[in-house]
Amino acid sequence: MGENWFHREFLNPRRLVFNLFFYGVQLFLFAYGWYSQETNKKLAALNGLKWSVWTSRGAGLVLAFDGGMILVPMLRNIIRVVRPRLAWLFPADENIWFHRQVAYSMAFWAMVHTTAHYVNFFNVERTQVRAERALDIHYTQAGGITGHFMLLIMVLMYTTAHHKVRNQCFEAFWYTHHLAFFFMIGLYTHATGCFVRDSTNPDYIKTFPFYSTEHCLGYESWRFTIWPGIIYFGERIWREIRARRATRLSKVLVHPSGAMELRIVKPTFKYVAGQWLFIQVPDVSGWQWHPFTITSAPEDPYVSVHIRQVGDWTQALGERVGASPSVVAAMTQDAMKGKEKDDSLYGTRGNFVELDPARTTRPLPVVRIDGPYGAPAEDVFNVEVAVLVGAGIGVTPFASILKHIWYRQRKGNVGSLRRVEFFWVCRDAPSFGWFQSLLQEVEAAQADPNFLRINIYLTQKINEDMLWNIAVNDAGAEYDPLTLLRSRTMFGRPDWKSIYGRMRDAIETGQYLPGTNAQLKTRVGTYFCGPSVLAKAVKEACDATTTSNINFAFAKEHF
Amino acid sequence: MGNLIWHEWSRYVSLTATVYTIWASFWGILYRKFFWDFVGGTLRAPGGLQPANNVAVFIDIIVKAPIVQILSMLLGFAIVALEYPAPFLKGTALYRSLVVRIVTLLLQAFLAILYYQGTNGAIWSLVAVIGYARAIALGETMEEAKENRGRGGKA
Repeated sequence: MGENWFHREFLNPRRLVFNLFFYGVQLFLFAYGWYSQETNKKLAALNGLKWSVWTSRGAGLVLAFDGGMILVPMLRNIIRVVRPRLAWLFPADENIWFHRQVAYSMAFWAMVHTTAHYVNFFNVERTQVRAERALDIHYTQAGGITGHFMLLIMVLMYTTAHHKVRNQCFEAFWYTHHLAFFFMIGLYTHATGCFVRDSTNPDYIKTFPFYSTEHCLGYESWRFTIWPGIIYFGERIWREIRARRATRLSKVLVHPSGAMELRIVKPTFKYVAGQWLFIQVPDVSGWQWHPFTITSAPEDPYVSVHIRQVGDWTQALGERVGASPSVVAAMTQDAMKGKEKDDSLYGTRGNFVELDPARTTRPLPVVRIDGPYGAPAEDVFNVEVAVLVGAGIGVTPFASILKHIWYRQRKGNVGSLRRVEFFWVCRDAPSFGWFQSLLQEVEAAQADPNFLRINIYLTQKINEDMLWNIAVNDAGAEYDPLTLLRSRTMFGRPDWKSIYGRMRDAIETGQYLPGTNAQLKTRVGTYFCGPSVLAKAVKEACDATTTSNINFAFAKEHF
Repeated sequence: MGNLIWHEWSRYVSLTATVYTIWASFWGILYRKFFWDFVGGTLRAPGGLQPANNVAVFIDIIVKAPIVQILSMLLGFAIVALEYPAPFLKGTALYRSLVVRIVTLLLQAFLAILYYQGTNGAIWSLVAVIGYARAIALGETMEEAKENRGRGGKA
């Protein structure tokens, strides 16, 4: 990583604006909280505690802000709705990143707030400004109890959310993160102990919120921070209701390369190409929701996902539907060796096998799906040239998008889209056999040879046998020997700078988009899904190639 | 489902608890108070809580001289050095020992619970101890790092 921290945080205009705004708001709130406490005549007795109470009140106000913001990026359904309208304003796809930034801030201000309060209560006990012990405030009053509990919950949530733990055992992260429910309850009730007051004793009343605001002079921040919590809770309930709507697993197809395709029929499920969903199979686990990219196009009568049996959940699912890992593993091996290649007539790879539910003793399991959730690739029809880059398993969203483009093409309704460049960078293409068959269909259906170009880059090392094999089979053959597509497979890593450079030159000379005036602004949208190292390389190439007339935009999808 | 490596998780808890304890011990030196002084103590205004006579030894080592806080801070730095780990501890048998961690964390919890600011640090240290105990019960070990054989530049 050549760039340092300063470069990343301050010399990138968008990031600079975010930093100034986000941390500026926090510093302002801290200053305001400090000032409003220090100058409040009613709280003169409390102000006898000096700087520690000013600090705790200032940090408390920032924590209220953070506590309200922490749930905002998790309102997935609302983000999905507002995303198309507000994509210019904030990167809606970076919601998890923002969630983390709020969490880091929260940990910092929690440290400030807690430290200050430890001094406060120490001095309350020493000076007896109120006739109570520090212990009473810490462990018998609402503020102290909820505070200590929130800290403990934070320790558990932050440590299990570490990316290493999350990758090892997603469940540990997933279940522990639901402590957020208790955390939020603690946050909303943190001030109910009426610590900030101008009376000797807390002024409790019989009606909600059970303390009188005449003498309890806190910020009443729960009135604001509770809304994201209520909306989030509502969203979770809504997700549950939506997931319970009639859903039927209609077919399970096992592709020669070992991927299972689940075809699910759910009439109420509306989505656009490139989105993803959560799937739950109660027979495998009653609580877990797993994210998968939708691989069918919205025009298809079903929703499909392709699942490779790599984790224990996916393997258990395979076992359940009768495509046990051993069966699929054998198929994968065969596909890797190219055994199924049946060159007799059309040179197509072996077909998929439909699992017949009548043959197996158990009926297909019940499935529930939740979604859809957003992804940048929805915007594909707003640009003239779409560059779709999929790396490895990251190619899945493009299955849906390519299918969708194909359907739209047939209807003659592709918006401003003139050309599609599809790049697929992967180590071993044969293991994605199912995707190849899809590509074959799409490629074969192209009337205009220039509309869709498929570029496949194979990055694995090739041994001598394979080299000869390719050399002999490739010469003069109509289809590429590896992928069985008309497009030739390329070897090694793509050189993004030269690819984009050539594209720019071709657009400028008018060869690329015939009929387009060079004076017109051309938008080239790149949609990427894959590892972040590659994302960076592609993004840099995009930025370097952009000229005044040709805008190379970049969007990345997250999982 | 999933395979949580307990000692890796415990490490994060342990580091959090220890950093908290170091910070707490620093404030404990500035604002000295024996956490358990309420046992048998009398509340006086002004003057605050007057501890009972039979805990005078703790008052000596916590309030009169912040010995416990200083010990706690030193132990905290030692634990951070062990957990992070410091370069000179990396790869040693000490670094790979889960039992050493449990013992040091228990000691930290014991020291931290004595002074006013240390309670959370003590509780979290115990959480880390539970995690490490679970790791040992499951037979987890910290593997000796593989030697980078055949790396260029070294004979």
